[in-house]
Amino acid sequence: MKVKTELVTFKEGIELTSGSKLSMFELMVETYGELNQDKSNGILVCHAFSGNHHAAGESKDDGTPGWWDQLIGPNKAIDTNKNFVVCCNNLGGCSGSTGPTSINPSTNEIYGKEFPFISVTDWVNSQKKLTDYLGIDKWQLVAGGSLGGMQALQWAISFPDSLKKSGIFAAAAKSSTQNIAMNEVARESIRNDSNFYDGDYLKNDTKPKSGLKTARMLAHVTYLSEKHMDLKFGRKFQDINSKVTGGVDFEIENYLQYKGKKFSNSFDANSYILMTKAMDSYDAASLFDGNLEEALSCIKAKLLIIGFETDWLYPPARGREIQLAAMNVNIPCSYITLNGEQGHDSFLFASERYNNIVKKFIDS
Amino acid sequence: MAIQISKVIKNWVPSKSKVIDFGCGDGSLLKDLIDTKGICGYGVEIDHEKIQQCIEKGISVIEKDINEGIQDFESSDFDIAIMASSIQCLKNPDIALKRMLRLSKKCIVTLPNLGYWKCRLALLLGKMPVTPNLPSSWYETENLHLCTIKDFEKLCSDSGFVIDERIFLDSSGVESATASLLPNLLASEGVYLLARK
Repeated sequence: MKVKTELVTFKEGIELTSGSKLSMFELMVETYGELNQDKSNGILVCHAFSGNHHAAGESKDDGTPGWWDQLIGPNKAIDTNKNFVVCCNNLGGCSGSTGPTSINPSTNEIYGKEFPFISVTDWVNSQKKLTDYLGIDKWQLVAGGSLGGMQALQWAISFPDSLKKSGIFAAAAKSSTQNIAMNEVARESIRNDSNFYDGDYLKNDTKPKSGLKTARMLAHVTYLSEKHMDLKFGRKFQDINSKVTGGVDFEIENYLQYKGKKFSNSFDANSYILMTKAMDSYDAASLFDGNLEEALSCIKAKLLIIGFETDWLYPPARGREIQLAAMNVNIPCSYITLNGEQGHDSFLFASERYNNIVKKFIDS
Repeated sequence: MAIQISKVIKNWVPSKSKVIDFGCGDGSLLKDLIDTKGICGYGVEIDHEKIQQCIEKGISVIEKDINEGIQDFESSDFDIAIMASSIQCLKNPDIALKRMLRLSKKCIVTLPNLGYWKCRLALLLGKMPVTPNLPSSWYETENLHLCTIKDFEKLCSDSGFVIDERIFLDSSGVESATASLLPNLLASEGVYLLARK
């Protein structure tokens, strides 16, 4: 599989939906496979909340598989032998694209908390600029799970002529009250970390790691299903020799401690707040007085919506809402429920049925 | 689905109409209606393999059990709802019909006729009928609510459904003038186009 990682600079900058402007921005982009002669085999995959541009294959640095490696690759559901697959780290992220840890060109200082509010629509608009840069007129497919699915939906609304198909997995047309509530608890734990300095921690040469760790631990629980946690950890006690901290008893505690710590070392707290705010504020129908049918009526792409039975963060019913609204305005749209056991995270894991459906949707 | 039934259904579906096919199978009928009549079509199916075949054909398909799922579409507005060869398998066919006519101006249903003479003969001989359109033995069948043409038409008139069109098929699945003479005795299958009053 041909892999290329590139930092693309957009000197023209971008107008944001909030009214602010970034005078220039950069996107960290990774591509897999090759673009064909007529540039018709492009697939854009959009990452979820904590993902980044590294979607498939093993990373050159530490061999970590991409976040959607189970689905993207040679002969996989999203086949890199046939398709040119593109993924970028979202604007406001912390894996190389312009975000709160970048230098603000107008002040020559780190943006930090001054980084403007970013919306799902802003991500889609910045990805459209990337699309133009790549010389692609029309994506064969734009797809993603969770927050990535929201981007795939917004792509179909914002740029109806620029994609043939949209794959919206484990997503919703807007965040629920419960989603917002969970995110607020996570943000509160970051803000209450004494090292947060109201978002100016980098200027104070520190990081609110403890708050970020708690935020991630909570969020991680919402990504898994009760059944999966039972199967994977049960009520097993942690082996004394592999304890991350001395204070844990159960294996699940140890696991969350480990995951939280790992995340807090690599993720930026301002990015965390920004990404969760983008997720909370997303409502595909916000420009249409909350009328989702009206919002979807301009869509020309075929939609494939997939929900996962054990997902309680964006449960199948949220996907069905999109399907029903699309159908009511005559948009071609399929809806499938898969029985992935991993809760919300199920969209990351390949299964025979998931693979077949995605593959057949791409080929149809 | 018998060729004759899909031909009849095709004749009743207006060009460019919006169609929902409950129990759409592999999506063949919808594909044909899209290709030849330019309809806007959606299928509802529960079988995993058939759903994949729909996706492969580019047909919009919704995974749902039609026993529970019809009411989910009640906010929608279709021109035609199709329920071919499964109404007798539903838990509540009467409620299903009412719901279909709520979400759609017209609906097309097919039903095997238990009053068909071969069925009557089988029962007279003390056996459950096994015919080309009732092919399974009693312990294997998915049919829960078998009825006769007479029963069905009584349900229609009791429920206020208007029978716009009806066609009767013989045991080889062909439209038959003989069957239409005494349908309750001679038709193996009835195909109906129902409308709201």
